Amino acid sequence: MLLAINWGNAVIIAVLGISVVFCILIVLIGVISLFGKIMAPKIKVPKKEPVTANTTGNEKAKPDHEEVHIAGIETAAIATALHLYFNDVHDKESSVITIKSTERRYSPWNSKIYGLNNNLVRK
Amino acid sequence: MKYIQKLLFISLLLFITTNVFAQEPTETASALESTTEEIVATAQDIITSDVATNEEYVEEDIQFGESIKKFLKRSGIAQLGDHWKSIIMILISFLLFYLAIKKGYEPLLLLPIAFGMLLTNLPGAEMYHSEYFAEGHVHWDCFRNGAGLLDFLYLGVKLGIYPCLIFMGVGAMTDFGPLLANPKSLLLGAAAQLGIFVTYFCSIAMGFLPNEAASIAIIGGADGPTAIFLTSRLAPELLGPIAVAAYSYMALVPVIQPPIMRLLTTKKERKIQMVQLRSVSKTEKIIFPVMVTVVVSLLLPDATPLIGCLMFGNLLRECGVTDRLSKTVQNELMNITIIFLGTTVGATATADAFLNLQTLGILAVGIVAFALGSAGGVLLAKFMNLFLKNKINPLIGSAGVSAVPMAARVSQTVGQEENPRNFLLMHAMGPNVAGVIGSAVAAGIMLSMMGS
Repeated sequence: MLLAINWGNAVIIAVLGISVVFCILIVLIGVISLFGKIMAPKIKVPKKEPVTANTTGNEKAKPDHEEVHIAGIETAAIATALHLYFNDVHDKESSVITIKSTERRYSPWNSKIYGLNNNLVRK
Repeated sequence: MKYIQKLLFISLLLFITTNVFAQEPTETASALESTTEEIVATAQDIITSDVATNEEYVEEDIQFGESIKKFLKRSGIAQLGDHWKSIIMILISFLLFYLAIKKGYEPLLLLPIAFGMLLTNLPGAEMYHSEYFAEGHVHWDCFRNGAGLLDFLYLGVKLGIYPCLIFMGVGAMTDFGPLLANPKSLLLGAAAQLGIFVTYFCSIAMGFLPNEAASIAIIGGADGPTAIFLTSRLAPELLGPIAVAAYSYMALVPVIQPPIMRLLTTKKERKIQMVQLRSVSKTEKIIFPVMVTVVVSLLLPDATPLIGCLMFGNLLRECGVTDRLSKTVQNELMNITIIFLGTTVGATATADAFLNLQTLGILAVGIVAFALGSAGGVLLAKFMNLFLKNKINPLIGSAGVSAVPMAARVSQTVGQEENPRNFLLMHAMGPNVAGVIGSAVAAGIMLSMMGS
């Protein structure tokens, strides 16, 4: 059975197939990268000029820019802080005041009857 | 006043009487005669036809015992004896119910597939007729004689409608941002298609015809709609087993992939932390689907139905002005299509088509395809690390097989086992969505090489 199989065709289809997949996706990588370079949002912040001893007052500082993206850890920290802020706000207290009545069992030690109603009697 | 009233009344009376007598008495009489004749003739016709039918129709006497026997003979229970294979198929459908409901293996698809399988294997129900779609084309004349519900719904699979609609939904639900931020991940998506072409060899060696081998090999892409699309075009008779294998293995991604990933990577490699992805502008996200459609369709027209629908769905999502359409495609359209697709694909799993050695072969080769696809992505990521300054964690390579987003989640889980501070999910989504494009391209190549 194995001899009857046209292995030549199978090799051509497999090799050509995987090559074409790679070629098409490499073309896409090229196109996406190109678009990325043109259209990627660039956040530009002025670079701090290093203070050197030789700098004279007449020399003007050259505005140098570099692309800066917020690091993932910082993004996560900001997101967590916002989440905590909006979900756990304590500024507004509940305006419901509840006086809970406490049940006291009778005891002669805390009974008012003995303390208030019984007048002192001089014998 | 009274005089005027009398005058008016008399003039009105005169007007009515003159009008009535002005009509020709002969015409009225003849019209009446003709209508009565017509009525009599039709009545006679009806009576004679009734007599004729009464003469032809002789009602048989109904015997109580006989009618019970007839009823029982026509019932599915009596036919089960002749269809013992159907009992096995019904039991398999029960197993799939269990896997979908209890174990939660791809329930959205496995459940409709299982129910379709149950319906088609119930003897006597005749919900689906495979002979209507024999020899690779639709026999429209058979539909006039009577077709089951599933026959009509199956037209969507046969004509390649459902996979494309599902791709539209997938596109509307997918964020291609990670891929745009790191275009190199497209290479990982391409490498994961290695499994497809190696499995093609294996299938050929097992004695499958080239078109069947291509349909089986596409299981390695781990993309259900693509597998169904290609199989319905190249080897429709294998649709049932291939769909079941594809979706079962997709559901088993968390079981199949981790051992392969651990086997091919060192502990140090698994700990690699990747650099933060750049942010992607809205304009890029809008241009990307249009650009991919144009580039891929010009290079490989056979992949246009799948890629075109995928990118159309994504454009609806990203353009920002078609929120209603995007939501419809993501939810209603997608869900309706899944119901129809799942049920009809399950219906193709008839006992004769499913219970044979071929199916076992497909299941065996399918898992090889899947494993090789995962391995291909991991190995290419390791190879790329030899040249890259910012190293890639090889674990994201395995996400190059489609199975969105489960494969990416597996990369994240395995990565966090080694380094709990490592977040690979977004990095893995790049190869993951690249895998969807890659498998659609691979299907297009197979179709262009073997399609009629």
